Amino acid sequence: MSAIDFQQLVDRQYAPLFRFGLTLAKSEADAADLTQQTFFLWAAKGHQLRDDSKAKSWLFTTLYREFLSKRRHEVRFPHVELDDASDDDVAVSPNMNALDSTAVVEALRELEEPFRAVLTLFYLEQFSYQEIAEMLEIPIGTVMSRLSRGKAHLRQRLMTKQESDARKIVSISPEKGRQTHE
Amino acid sequence: MNNQEAQFVLSAYRPGGQDALDPAFAEALEQARRDPLLERWFNDSIAFDRAVTEKLCAVEVPAGLRESVLAGSKVSRPSRWTKPFVRWAIAAAFVLAAITGSLILREAAKPHLAAWQTNALSQVSALVEGHAKFDAQSRNASELVAWLRENRASAVQNLPPSLERLESLGCKTFFWEGQPVSVICFQRGEGGLIHLVATNAFAPFNRMGKSERKFVQQGNWATVTWRDGASVYMLALEGSRDQLQSYLL
Repeated sequence: MSAIDFQQLVDRQYAPLFRFGLTLAKSEADAADLTQQTFFLWAAKGHQLRDDSKAKSWLFTTLYREFLSKRRHEVRFPHVELDDASDDDVAVSPNMNALDSTAVVEALRELEEPFRAVLTLFYLEQFSYQEIAEMLEIPIGTVMSRLSRGKAHLRQRLMTKQESDARKIVSISPEKGRQTHE
Repeated sequence: MNNQEAQFVLSAYRPGGQDALDPAFAEALEQARRDPLLERWFNDSIAFDRAVTEKLCAVEVPAGLRESVLAGSKVSRPSRWTKPFVRWAIAAAFVLAAITGSLILREAAKPHLAAWQTNALSQVSALVEGHAKFDAQSRNASELVAWLRENRASAVQNLPPSLERLESLGCKTFFWEGQPVSVICFQRGEGGLIHLVATNAFAPFNRMGKSERKFVQQGNWATVTWRDGASVYMLALEGSRDQLQSYLL
């Protein structure tokens, strides 16, 4: 791949890759590191990819693997029994206009990692369930299950954030009022 | 399919409508059209998905990340000459060029045979360097032979007994002058690889005697070509003629 092609690839993919990394990693700096590391790997190994149309999924898959690898070094990866997670019906619907991007990223980060990766790939880059299954090397049924239940969990988290924000507004306003009068 | 099952399936439906023609969603979509409650849930779900996508795509990327990636990749990209793989590939290219030259000189009277050998070595080289992929992979060579026969690609009648004991990696087929040619790659017990190329004994090989074995040793590469009935075989390895000879016993 020429320098120009590489730059075009970076221009197209660095922002979505960073956003994917941001939902996985602990901080913005970690997400930037993951993005950078992914492109380093592309620079070293990308030429081995025969099909250029697979470059995008290669980058996302590589970033996810780098994240897992990094995390394994930090702490032993806890096994998450997703089947034991609560499977509440979706009865809540947050007012999305009242939530900003930060709140959505925070809510995604609060989800168990397996939900997080599937949901972010689905939302961020509009990957199909088949593509996600291929990228994360999990069965299609598992992807559907994680999407279904992950969305329910995400809604709950967003509702909680919304309610929390609303409480903050109620409690702060009188204080402000009092301060003004004092 | 009940509504709960339909909701499960429709959770994977992308809000942009890209999955409208995916048959996996057809039944659930049809059910949503028929059932107002499910339809309401689906519309709400799509609206939620769109909103999350918008919020996520609005996340700002740190200033300077793009420049950092571009600059970092430049300095981190290993030098082409220091990468072991590239060093090996360059060395292999020199060896192949030398073999090609040697074959052309030695086989001047039989240009077609030399051309076939050169072509076969190029295919082997492409596989080893990762420029070409196996058509089928198995550690069991008999499975590869069966696969080649099923695909009418093989001239492999019998594997040399010494190769039967080795673990295979995979096989590839290609055509040379309209004739199918197959390559099977094996792992040698002492390390390294050995490759068996096979094709039908057509015109370029007519002059080859049944017991004739044509060895070519050039640099680190050794090849031997022989005819067995209606097939022609070539073995190639990085090593000496003696090492190659041991696989012919």
